[in-house]
Parts: sequence; C-alpha cells; structure tokens
Amino acid sequence: MSTTGDSAPQISGTAESAKECADWQALLERIPYAQHLGLEVQRGDVGVLVHLPCREALIGNFMLPALHGGVLGALIELTARVAAQSQDAETRCPRILDSHINYLRSAKARSTFARADIIRQGRRTSLVQVTCWQGDDKKPIATGQVQLLLPTMAAQQEDRHGH
Amino acid sequence: MSDWADLMNDLNKLQHSDAVTTAWQFTEQVPHGRDLGMQVVSVDQGQVCMRLTPQSWMFAHKDTKEICTSVLYSLADSAGGLAVFAGALELMPIATLDLRMDYLRPAIGDRALSAVATCRHLSDDVAFIHCDILSEGNRELLATANATFMRNTQGQQLHAGGPGKESA
Repeated sequence: MSTTGDSAPQISGTAESAKECADWQALLERIPYAQHLGLEVQRGDVGVLVHLPCREALIGNFMLPALHGGVLGALIELTARVAAQSQDAETRCPRILDSHINYLRSAKARSTFARADIIRQGRRTSLVQVTCWQGDDKKPIATGQVQLLLPTMAAQQEDRHGH
Repeated sequence: MSDWADLMNDLNKLQHSDAVTTAWQFTEQVPHGRDLGMQVVSVDQGQVCMRLTPQSWMFAHKDTKEICTSVLYSLADSAGGLAVFAGALELMPIATLDLRMDYLRPAIGDRALSAVATCRHLSDDVAFIHCDILSEGNRELLATANATFMRNTQGQQLHAGGPGKESA
C-alpha cells in the first residue's frame, strides 16, 4: 500500500492558525466518539484539517478493503460540528439537524483528511460543507453538507438559571 | 444475546435465500459494525431490523448521555446496505452513492437503538432505501435516513486501486 500523501503537508503557520488548531483540538477532545474514532487536528496548507488515521475497526468492507460509509459520515459530521462551534463568537455547542453525504470515490484503508468550508454562519444555524480526501486533495472521496442549530440566548439563559 | 435469541436468529436465517443469508452473515462480520456492536435482528419480507446497544464512548459530549448522531448514521448505512440485498434477493457488490439523515430528536444513551430499513425501489443500477431509527421500546422516531445505493459496482470496486474507475 502506498504511503504517499498519508501525512498532510505541514506549513510554518502564523500564531493565529496555531491557535485555531488548538481550539479545534480542544473541541474534539470534548467529544467521546471523536476520541474513539481517533480524530486529530492537523494544520494543512488550506487551513485546519481533521485527520482520521486508519485502523481495522473502521473497515466496512474487508474484501476490498474499504472504510465504512458511516466512518466517513462521522468524520464529516464531527468536522462540521467543530468548525461551526469554533466559528461561533460564544463557542455555543451546536446540535446537528441533518447531514447529506455524497460518496464520490471508494474510501481505501488508509489515512483520510477532512476540510470544512462554512457556507453560512447565521445567528441560529450554521451550514457547513466538508470535503474528504485520501492521497490527493484534488480527488475528494466524499463531500457532505451539515446543517447545525446553535442554541438560542433564551435556551442558554434557561441553562444558567438551572445551575 | 441469549441462547433463545440466538436460536430465533438462526431459524430466521434459515427461512431466507442463500443471498440474504450470505449478506446477513457478511453484515455481522463488518469490522466497524462489530466495533459498534451492531446486530442484525431480522430480515423479513425485504425489511431489515438491526440494533445497537449504546456505550459511553459513543456519546456526543463529555457531560451528557446523548449518543453522537454519527453512530445513528453508521447504523442506517449498514441496515440500508443489507436492505438492498433483502430487496434484490441476489448477491452483488454495492456502494453507497449518497445518504441523507434527519436527526429529529436527541438519542439518549440509556436504551438500545433500533433501525428499520426497507428497499423502496429497485432498478437494474440503483436501489433506493429508507431507514427509520428508533429508541427500543419507544415509537418516537429519533432519525430518518434516505439513501441511494449503486448496484453491481464490481468493475469499480474490484479495480478500486486503478485510475479513473472510481466514480459511479
């Protein structure tokens, strides 16, 4: 199995992007399922990336072998969630409302990367587009759009009064 | 699973064509499905039922018992794939083209999840699948999924390492 492209190109980034990576990493660490999958934040030349190292428990078809479609679903949903939350001024924890994922190429048993583009960050919702690739970032293996709901001020105040 | 449940499971398997039985066994061997503890409960007249017992490492937050939506996504994808075979009654390589999930309610981790998937339409090339995810013992829907699967993807999948043959 080829190993080229299994590590994202690292650049000597600014302090700002180092902080962004640290923020994303801190948010991912608060998600038990992200920890189980082994998601980790990396700095790539296109911004912050989420890296999913390959291991046997992620395989969906052992004859090919290929990653499970649900593993890519998780990579996309969790990347979208962290992107939306890190973008929010109050780092409110978003709820995932829906996600629509298109599978473009077979997902081989190797490292996978994801990048988030925020299509719209609103006051109450966030729509995030996530692209996944393996060796070549010009050849995406899956893309997904995730709609997230940000809790309103009223719901947050209710929470505070509850404490 | 109890011995009785195992026996029922085996009896249910015997009622099926070889294709469905093989697909059922294949689904139970998938490493990611085993990691999450997915079980096939039944395949009955083209309808697939699967279940999953939540674990604390599946949660969406450190401080709540809400199950991560992505666990429901994996369950829907697996149940949907098996529903293609249950609808087609023949074995052929398949691939998920797309999957759309709507998360209607938070899934709380104190009850098993159950997924019911059906094949809505089958053409020579494509299978359209619908899947509902419920909390066991509760009629309220937690999530719904609609997925499209490509059928007979042998060329693409068996040559997955080759150039330019990946897209459906």
